[in-house]
Amino acid sequence: MSAKIIDGKAFAAGVRGRVASHVARLKADHGITPGLAVVLVGEDPASEVYVRSKGKSTVEAGMNSYEHKLDADTSEATLLALIDALNKDPAVNGILVQLPLPKHLDADLVINAIDPAKDVDGFHISNVGLLGTGQKSMVPCTPLGCLMMLRDHHGSLSGLDAVVVGRSNIVGKPMAQLLLGDSCTVTIAHSRTKDLAEVCRRADILVAAVGRPEMIPGDWVKPGATVIDVGINRIERDGKTKLVGDVHYASCAEVAGAITPVPGGVGPMTIACLLANTLTAACRANGLPEPEGLTA
Amino acid sequence: MSATIIDGRAMARRIQAAAAVEAAELARAGWAPRLVSLSVGATAAAELYVRNQRRQAAAAGIGFEARDYPATISAEELGGVIAGLNADPRVHGIVIQRPLPAAIPVRALQRAIHPLKDVEGLHPASIGNIVYDDLALGPCTARAAVEILRALPLDPAGLEVTVIGHSELVGKPVAFLLMGLGATVTVCHALSREVAAHARRADAVFVAVGRPGLVTAEMLKPGAALIDIGINRVETPEGPRLVGDADFETCAEVAGWITPVPGGVGPVTVAMLMQNAVRATRMQMERYRGAYAGGQ
Repeated sequence: MSAKIIDGKAFAAGVRGRVASHVARLKADHGITPGLAVVLVGEDPASEVYVRSKGKSTVEAGMNSYEHKLDADTSEATLLALIDALNKDPAVNGILVQLPLPKHLDADLVINAIDPAKDVDGFHISNVGLLGTGQKSMVPCTPLGCLMMLRDHHGSLSGLDAVVVGRSNIVGKPMAQLLLGDSCTVTIAHSRTKDLAEVCRRADILVAAVGRPEMIPGDWVKPGATVIDVGINRIERDGKTKLVGDVHYASCAEVAGAITPVPGGVGPMTIACLLANTLTAACRANGLPEPEGLTA
Repeated sequence: MSATIIDGRAMARRIQAAAAVEAAELARAGWAPRLVSLSVGATAAAELYVRNQRRQAAAAGIGFEARDYPATISAEELGGVIAGLNADPRVHGIVIQRPLPAAIPVRALQRAIHPLKDVEGLHPASIGNIVYDDLALGPCTARAAVEILRALPLDPAGLEVTVIGHSELVGKPVAFLLMGLGATVTVCHALSREVAAHARRADAVFVAVGRPGLVTAEMLKPGAALIDIGINRVETPEGPRLVGDADFETCAEVAGWITPVPGGVGPVTVAMLMQNAVRATRMQMERYRGAYAGGQ
């Protein structure tokens, strides 16, 4: 074991602390309390847990949390009317619609009905395009968290070779955009990539986001590289359930210079970045400077 | 000379002919496609574009109206012009000729265009759509470059591609379009180390930097495809000449396929504008029928 372990829990706590102190300043200096509205449709138990924990963290950071729970059979028109009202409500700076939605609702349509400036998940098609063209946008939380950890570890990322494994809309693609924005040379690899091992071996920064348990072994990692493991996979081992990432932790940690564990790596950053995005949206909505170090 | 020289003009004629068939069909349905081009101030470069676009539009049976505004027009007035064109059902696409005077914020104007009339594919929503693999109205230059690759006898899935240049309007969209086709894409730029090594590994190289002679023969894998998106005016003893970003003579010795400048990506770009014009018209027709005509 040679790699430095990047402690996502501690890092996320630091981000949340910085968000909270910025929020306190906003209140004291400008009388502004940022607000996050979370919309949950139906009774998916996992979603209920997420929504509760988001609400709790929001309040802990000193912001207002507005929860909207709708019945599973809520019509599209009712949901769109709620989003319209939240778009117009000046007390609401961020709107998050918990996914997945019940099958009769069109998630794309609903997400794209959110005011892009309040789209704290960064999933609105305009935010995707703004990020893609290097303009000010709301950035999806998980890749933003990865970027913050990378910047913290490396200082400057400029000129480093980065390989992102996985081209999902919520992690792989925005991650690639963010790394390009920080002047990395970026390769996006995926299931159709021919010699994945070889591609991974040239990375100074290796981001794994494929959702396949322990698929990247240590001998795919360049000695000294930084490994960011976004995967969270539940597996059975020795009769017990266990969470593992997309990289084989033990063998990668032998080779890497720094590595995020699973759990306790990227995971805790997601909610921290949701809070950071809500704060950023509140600052922009009020024409105030953005919080430093908490945005892309 | 071993490379096959790609004939962009012939390809443009094929795309234009297909657009002409569609335009005629739309006209029979009462939806004759029509573009409006906005030029601000007198610029020779823009006049050349307008002339090319007018000629191709005429050949494809697409209406084309060029409007000239004085360099003194304000951004607000131009915004008003665009709002009017957005609302005008007889206009199906809006083209903003660049360069614009420095006082006019070009991105704000691009954002002001209704996404369904964004035939240049530069609205954030259009870019967002290509990131999400929805190729409704992609940016013309990037789509042209990728169409050229698709016309070659190479399977894009699993193809190693290096994109040199990560501009928002060309390099990045090219990378996302290629990724959507299953290529393993590496994006290099001014701060990349070892651009030559990345290029030499690639089955196809796209270059869009704006620097003559940037790509040389020793940067290419023998037999690779070289798509040159650069257009540079250089002075020669025989007078000014247009060249791309590649050193054409030496690269043609090594490459398997190469696009010339002029006559490569350029003409295909204008043809893509015509394809976008008929697509945009069709999308507007379908939207209208869905919303107001009971699906008729």
